[in-house]
Amino acid sequence: MVSEAEYRAVVEFLYREARLADEARYAEWLALWTDDAVYWVPATTDPAADPDKHLSHIYDNRGRLETRIKLVQTGHRYSQEPASPMRRLISNIEVAPADNGELVAESNFALAELAIQAKRELHWWVGRATHRLRRVGSELKLCRKTVVLVNAAEPLPNLSFLI
Amino acid sequence: MSSHAPNGAIDYKTLVQDDRIHASLYTDPQVFDDEMERIFRRGWVFVGHASEITGPGDFVTRRVGTEPVIMVRGKDGGVGVLVNRCMHRGTMVCPADRGSARAFTCPYHGWTYDISGELLGVPYPGGYAAFDKSAHGLTRAPRVSSYRGFVFASLSAEGISLAEHLGSATRLIDRSCDLSPAGEIELTAGWVKHRCPANWKTLPENDSDGYHLGFVHRALFSTVRSQYQRVVGDEKTIKAVVRDWGNGHIEIDWSPGYQGPFEWLGGVSGSTVADFVAALERRDGAEVTRRRIFEGPAHALIFPNLFLGETNIAIVEPVSVEECVHWHTPMFLKGVPEFRSRLLRMAEAGMGPASFLMPEDLTVASRNQLGLHARTAPWLELGRGLNRERVDAEGRTVSHVTDETTNRALWRHYRAVMTEA
Repeated sequence: MVSEAEYRAVVEFLYREARLADEARYAEWLALWTDDAVYWVPATTDPAADPDKHLSHIYDNRGRLETRIKLVQTGHRYSQEPASPMRRLISNIEVAPADNGELVAESNFALAELAIQAKRELHWWVGRATHRLRRVGSELKLCRKTVVLVNAAEPLPNLSFLI
Repeated sequence: MSSHAPNGAIDYKTLVQDDRIHASLYTDPQVFDDEMERIFRRGWVFVGHASEITGPGDFVTRRVGTEPVIMVRGKDGGVGVLVNRCMHRGTMVCPADRGSARAFTCPYHGWTYDISGELLGVPYPGGYAAFDKSAHGLTRAPRVSSYRGFVFASLSAEGISLAEHLGSATRLIDRSCDLSPAGEIELTAGWVKHRCPANWKTLPENDSDGYHLGFVHRALFSTVRSQYQRVVGDEKTIKAVVRDWGNGHIEIDWSPGYQGPFEWLGGVSGSTVADFVAALERRDGAEVTRRRIFEGPAHALIFPNLFLGETNIAIVEPVSVEECVHWHTPMFLKGVPEFRSRLLRMAEAGMGPASFLMPEDLTVASRNQLGLHARTAPWLELGRGLNRERVDAEGRTVSHVTDETTNRALWRHYRAVMTEA
């Protein structure tokens, strides 16, 4: 169990992270992360997926996460130029304490993305996110985010925005 | 201009010219149907790799063109390709991507087939006066053949052999496989599938196009160093080449532009590669090993749907005239487990929907598809490099990496396949 105050802080963090990602506020989004960041989007819904054995859509450490952000900031990442208008809904948030005083939040999300760069199709991205959060000073920071799309193993369109 | 003859047949000789091609080749559903018949049924099509199905009953499901198939390891150790369709009422019998089976049972009325496709039984057989089970087995691809673990199938009983189809392009496959001290690659990491809202031909064309890199991938080149850096910049200083291997097999060879070994592996050195180099030297000697680690694996299309994407293996899957899927998986080298995590991370950076390269390619492919519907300007130019391409000692046409030698070779073969008797 976590306290009401902790739960509320986590929910506010999730909403803020979602808003920054939705609005392509890349630098602010990157600032939410710790230096030992791990950002993982497996290519399967199999709980036994192992990023050291299996191919993932994304398995970024801090360095690669920064590269991901730098690419979109060049203005020449044509799959996100202009950035896709998008909004996500987050629900079913459950927060539990973890080792070292960290917190783990699991939630469901549904994200509507307008792939405006070519065919202007609306893509729905749906899945479950797991955020591992750490108190750093007075702030919560994101040290690990795992996003399991319900269609992780299916043919996916471009995923070069922040999921 | 009408591309259809009075009998409704498409005139591919008019649409595919030596230095230009017609946009309807990407947008006409009848062209797509012709391709599925002539390229993907009559010809040889890459299905999968032997390392994906190691034990009896192991299977993966794929498509040959638009035809659903099961590639399965038989009890005798051989690889079969079964059409994934019940012989009773046409239901797809196996819906899984992969797995291991002792039998395939149709969910509709319980018809059950063994892993070689033979019909084992039909529930309530009293409803048939006489029933010949042997005539109702799953349809097998009439021809299945493999080269160094790469399994190809043809849905036609007749035609040229796989060896004739591959020709000297087997050397491209060798270049990749020979990097393993065991001489084998392993595709065990699973596949990522990237949906592309464009005609399937845009992918093999783009995979073998050395002209677009500095433009489509400008974001990446201006951000991080990569092995492709040496093909952007002054035209005269670029040393990489494109090469036509015949039968639609085409290559970009970056290696003339490399300045040291392992540029294709992110420039690793030292203890990371010491055991690997020693193992290759034991097999091949120092000189051949030096060449192998300098040149790296092939970057080449094996016509029509297998892309040797350097440290990745990729499949081009046509879906409809306006849609296709690009599959990829990292190419693990048997006997070199220490490269695996590096190869995984390189695969994630290079290919797939969230990678640093392919989303740009597919965005441009999608815009191509939109632009190609503009019929007031129906031709695509393919003449780049005609002024300077040359034929090498082995009869292969070679040119500057930015030249459309590869595109012309692809289309020349396409025209031959689409017009042959």
